[in-house]
Amino acid sequence: MIRFVIKRLLVAIPTLWAVLTTVFILVRVVPGDPTMVILGDQASEAARAALREKLGLGKPILAQYIDFMTQVLHGDLGRSLATNRPIVDDVLAVLPWTIELTLASLVVGAVIGIPLGVLAAEKRDGFADWFARIFSLAGVSFPAFVSGILLLLAFSVELRWFPVISTAKSDDWFGRLRALVLPSINLGLLMVAYVTRVTRSGMLQALGEDYVRTARSKGLGRRLVVWRHAFPNVLVPVVTVVGLYLGVLIGNAVLTEIVFNRPGIGKLIVTALNQRDYTLLQGLMVVSAFAIVIANILTDLTYGLVDPRVKTA
Amino acid sequence: MSAVTQPRNTVLSRALRTPGLAIGVVIVVVMIAAAVFAPWISPYDPDDQDVMLVLVGPESGHLLGTDAFGRDVLSRILWGARISLTVGFLSTAVGVAVGTAIGIVAGYYGGLVDRLVVAATDVLLSFPQLIMGLLLVAVLGASLTNLVIAIAVTAAPAFVRLARGSTMAMRERDFVDACRSLGYSDVRIMFLHVLPNILDELVVMASLWLAAAIRTESTLAFIGLSVPPPTATWGGIVREGFDNLLDGPWLALFPSLAILAVMIGLNLIGDGLRDATDPRAPQ
Amino acid sequence: MKRLLLATAMLLVPLAAARAETVLNIGMAAADIGQIDPHRATSTQDKPVVSWVFNGLVRFKPGSASLESLEPDLAESWDKSADGKVWTFHLRKGVKFHGDWGEMTAEDVVYSFKRAGDAKTSSFAADYSVLESIEAVDPYTVKFTLKKTVPAFLGIVANYHGGNVVSKKAAEALGADFRVKPVGTGPFQVTEYKSNESLTFGANQNYFRGKPKIDRIVYRFIPADASRDLAFSSGELDVVYGRQDQRWVDRFSKEPNTVVQALKPAELSLLHINTTMKPLDDLRVRKAIAYAVDRQQLVGFKGPAVNPPAVSVVPSGYLGTDEKAELIPTDIAKAKALLAEAGYPNGLEIKVVQTSLPTMLASMQILQGQLKKAGIELKIEVVDHQSWHAQIRKDQSGLVYYAAARFPVADVYLRQFFHSDSIVGKPTAVTNFSHCANADAEIDAAAVETDVEKQKALWKTAQKKLIDEVCAVPLFEGLQVWAYKTDVDWGYKLDGAIHLGPVVTELTTKK
Repeated sequence: MIRFVIKRLLVAIPTLWAVLTTVFILVRVVPGDPTMVILGDQASEAARAALREKLGLGKPILAQYIDFMTQVLHGDLGRSLATNRPIVDDVLAVLPWTIELTLASLVVGAVIGIPLGVLAAEKRDGFADWFARIFSLAGVSFPAFVSGILLLLAFSVELRWFPVISTAKSDDWFGRLRALVLPSINLGLLMVAYVTRVTRSGMLQALGEDYVRTARSKGLGRRLVVWRHAFPNVLVPVVTVVGLYLGVLIGNAVLTEIVFNRPGIGKLIVTALNQRDYTLLQGLMVVSAFAIVIANILTDLTYGLVDPRVKTA
Repeated sequence: MSAVTQPRNTVLSRALRTPGLAIGVVIVVVMIAAAVFAPWISPYDPDDQDVMLVLVGPESGHLLGTDAFGRDVLSRILWGARISLTVGFLSTAVGVAVGTAIGIVAGYYGGLVDRLVVAATDVLLSFPQLIMGLLLVAVLGASLTNLVIAIAVTAAPAFVRLARGSTMAMRERDFVDACRSLGYSDVRIMFLHVLPNILDELVVMASLWLAAAIRTESTLAFIGLSVPPPTATWGGIVREGFDNLLDGPWLALFPSLAILAVMIGLNLIGDGLRDATDPRAPQ
Repeated sequence: MKRLLLATAMLLVPLAAARAETVLNIGMAAADIGQIDPHRATSTQDKPVVSWVFNGLVRFKPGSASLESLEPDLAESWDKSADGKVWTFHLRKGVKFHGDWGEMTAEDVVYSFKRAGDAKTSSFAADYSVLESIEAVDPYTVKFTLKKTVPAFLGIVANYHGGNVVSKKAAEALGADFRVKPVGTGPFQVTEYKSNESLTFGANQNYFRGKPKIDRIVYRFIPADASRDLAFSSGELDVVYGRQDQRWVDRFSKEPNTVVQALKPAELSLLHINTTMKPLDDLRVRKAIAYAVDRQQLVGFKGPAVNPPAVSVVPSGYLGTDEKAELIPTDIAKAKALLAEAGYPNGLEIKVVQTSLPTMLASMQILQGQLKKAGIELKIEVVDHQSWHAQIRKDQSGLVYYAAARFPVADVYLRQFFHSDSIVGKPTAVTNFSHCANADAEIDAAAVETDVEKQKALWKTAQKKLIDEVCAVPLFEGLQVWAYKTDVDWGYKLDGAIHLGPVVTELTTKK
């Protein structure tokens, strides 16, 4: 298994390099530069030009690229152009928040989506099926920023159960957990639709298989047939979907992070882009791409756990 | 080869007996009709501003209220359907078509082609989807065409993966060998025999994507990129609604419901079609 | 079941333990801080913060936005020579910088003003170009010698922009880090910065006016309007930056225990017209645009209480503003006639680049609707904010909508927006988007005029010329809107906010 992980990580290196290069080029093609954020709008053009020179933005792009790559190869992501802080520090400060939110959303997505999907398949075309399908679709139809505000209105302002500002101190575990509830539901709803669908169609197929019918005809309990015989069949597609949508989650987390005032990689990426903080943006994109690579590896490892036929060695 | 050999009339009769499919078709047809006939059925000019009627609720004679510029929300949703459905359908169609074609080719041939495709897909999938869209629109500029391109590019890799995986599984099946021994060309096998067999999976995914595409437009608008005003789009109305969520919640709600309706319609169609073509489905 | 619910609810209610310290929670409409280096900070989210951390030689009386309110700050007294060119300031003794950066002396003052006057370290260098020399006579005396007399010299040594005094040692030691770790003499010091989240300030126990009553300020960046509003409603914020929007004011006025205020200075919104682009180089076309703009309707959309109509091409209330300038009225028929005369009987199309920031985009959409009535079609291209900043400086937009507040003397506004030195594209460029140079003579003459009345007359002429030439169409003025809980006691009367937000002083407290 360790060999598998190492091999996958090695394979990912060219991917990360391609991501980095793409970002490097894209952000320099977009108009604007970091001088507006650093100097404000009352500085003269000459002062801006001087700063550009100082930041090394005056050099040809190829030279900048070579400098940057050399730096990265030395394991240094550099410093933020806007705040001059080491990028590693900024990343480490927000990374736990992102991981926490992503995992919690996955849990929410699975905990709501799987039972809904199973129920829908079992009661096919019945009321439960219709409810499950429409409810799960609602999660994908409402943009996360709208559903987020609705959740805040109901649970934070009216009921006062959860805070609006979801940044508890890191040593206050209860506070942090409490602050995680609404954001993870909001982001998790996005997953629910996908998980429900995949579970439902997988279950429908499994319930129609001969051995499940046999088990049923032998008079085994409904619950046993559904969960023991049919359900394991849907695990592989569910894991696939979860793995595939991890990227969607990380990207869409931006909206949830903004609405619920949480720090996070997604939000930082958007700020960095808006401030034209090239170095910070590059660093963050590498980190998020790396996170997706890790997520893919975990997905593959999970196959081995849920499906004995898949070997990961 | 169930999908291609099944007698047509069975599929049709099955489909007609699925109530979901019929409802789905009705919803989608109504939505498309609303978009097509928007100029005739809109009660107001969607761009007409009225300083006296800013953010008034549904009670004002404007059926769905007005927005921050005093424009009629119903008219904007109707006109917005034109753009949003076009963006949704077009970007999904482009993403699915390109993604699927590449995926099938990669899965069918394997080897170097496959490895290159996988590498490229990996790179694209390593970008968080939304950020990718944001960067692309920032580079290309915020026009409708570029929006379609950006959303299609973010959609394609998922379909490459799906089609590739299914094709690889399909390649080992007997009927592909049979086709080969009959001397069919690769292209014919891929698109006349492999494609129909993975179609239902694609349709289901695509129907989810379509709504995601419409929603992505609102999301991109939220983090900073929107189509040129005063053009009404569902995503744009939702985005403007967010700015005024506490003063006029209907503004964000109604277009979101429109997106929901389209999604339900499309999904019912997707499910219905699959059920109708699935011989194991209970009668 | 009911008991279970109750138990959970109790668990979830925040532990309302008696607060040992007084914390002021402020919510700001921004994703992050820009700069806290006082010689660089210009954006709305930066300026209030600077006023808590720094002092000037004199200061705007807290709660005021007027030059007439200037009072002693780090300087206890000052004398000026008969010709008005030599100013000597006597510093307060025993003032300590934050942390271990030592006592504030004349050396720091000299360093600060040299720093503020250097374009490499300051965005306000131009304001200090009049300084011939500045020297430390002794550790507590500083002498400024001016090349010429300037209007309101005390204003440029006040606690505003470049006038803020920084620690020499700290600025030299911290270098580029100074912008998020500033060291000043003010009542509060930065204790923690979390990017995209918050800035925390601790009380400066050694503050020379006395120990602050507030122990901590948490300044939170909450860019989404609705979230910020809800955090205030739920009691998580004591003070919140509002929206320049009548509906916001109306809604917040109904909140319990809440004070809503719209404060000066206003940011003046102007529609700059690029006079070098076709067809805008034709005065008749520009006039047509001005006739098509309906100022009253704009104000109607935005709300008169927070967005009063503009009076001139300089914000109202500045020294030298022509408060009764003759503006071009709304007259669609005249606009159409002028267009026809200019050769566009069927109307015309103008390309406009606009930022996607919601309030600014909204204003442009209203203008789009108004101009359409006169047959002027605005093709708006929406880009992100930095792209917009870059593109309007490259003449890519025929019309530039720009809102700004500046130092309250007409000279600054006129110079940055309408002097030929500031024309975009030049090395000296600032924000002259219209390329107008027709008022250079008056602007330059007014700057050295010693007779106040003559000076005002020159500024008035400059404004008239700019309006007549339609370099920019004055739209409306956005006041600074803030809401706070009634238990916040600022310790002074809050009537204005030269720093765009309320100053938190040593007297500010929460009851």
